[in-house]
Amino acid sequence: MNAMVKPLAVQEAYEDLLQRSLSRIPCDLGRLLYLASTRDYNTGNYHHDGLADRFSVKVARSALEIAHRQAFYKVAALSLEELVRDLASYLESSRENPEEFLRTWQRLEPYRIAIPMEVNPTVARLFASNVRLALAVLRLRQSTHADR
Amino acid sequence: MIGVWGGLAGALVLLLVLLAWVRAETSSKDSRSDWGAADQEQSESVEACSPEIVSQLFSAADSKFISGLESPGLQNLFRRERNAVALHWVQETSAFISKIMRRHLEASRLSADLEIAVEARIFLRYARLKLYCGILFVLIGLLGPQRLAGTALYAERFIQRVGEGLVEFQRAARLPEPDGSESL
Repeated sequence: MNAMVKPLAVQEAYEDLLQRSLSRIPCDLGRLLYLASTRDYNTGNYHHDGLADRFSVKVARSALEIAHRQAFYKVAALSLEELVRDLASYLESSRENPEEFLRTWQRLEPYRIAIPMEVNPTVARLFASNVRLALAVLRLRQSTHADR
Repeated sequence: MIGVWGGLAGALVLLLVLLAWVRAETSSKDSRSDWGAADQEQSESVEACSPEIVSQLFSAADSKFISGLESPGLQNLFRRERNAVALHWVQETSAFISKIMRRHLEASRLSADLEIAVEARIFLRYARLKLYCGILFVLIGLLGPQRLAGTALYAERFIQRVGEGLVEFQRAARLPEPDGSESL
């Protein structure tokens, strides 16, 4: 985190982010993907217009970075069963065609961009591996459901 | 006769260990090629894996959940995935231990009052940890991570303790206590 940014302001911005934006998202994976989407792919910097207006660009950036790391570690520590439930909830909230969604996620692995910078490599691998497994479980359920 | 059977049993055990080693190496190579560059870049800066993540990685609950779905394909995928991540953790842990030891050796060179007994104890701990990592690596290849949760957590806690001890030692070697601090 930037040394010039006041921790108290970051804390306030973080709480604001939790209340206004993150509380509306129904699942942990959704929150993680939302936070990852506030990061610029080229620079790795986070940006959120509303938060930057209410606080400052730097404070918003730090708050988003902290929130992203926390959301990531939370999802990485979920049991496989919990992750399957969470992914199913995310799938439902996306309102996409489940079959197409699962196939695309298995092929493109978009969840890899949800990994924050400078996290422990084992945790990053466990996360990606668990999502792969959760996708396989949902596809299995879908195929058995279709067979009936 | 016992000698022949003993030799055969020994050779068989050795063969199994070698087989497990090769299997483990293959799994870890597969996963290394996937993430290699990012790992190399990150290895110097990241924190150690937390005990919660280690217990999650070696958890039997996930294995039970997958078994309950009664799909051999999914069970194979689960075994492959978990083995690869667990082996990566062992390698990362082993590298972490070596890094701590390297730092300790650098700090020792700067220290004015080296104690041979303390150094020997630290080296023995280091050797023990490296041995644990080697054994875990082979056992994961043989049994899979789910049966090794206790050993892995023990190694993780032990590493953290040793790591903290070495960091303290390092600090003390770099920053000599002010005069009179011995009486505190």
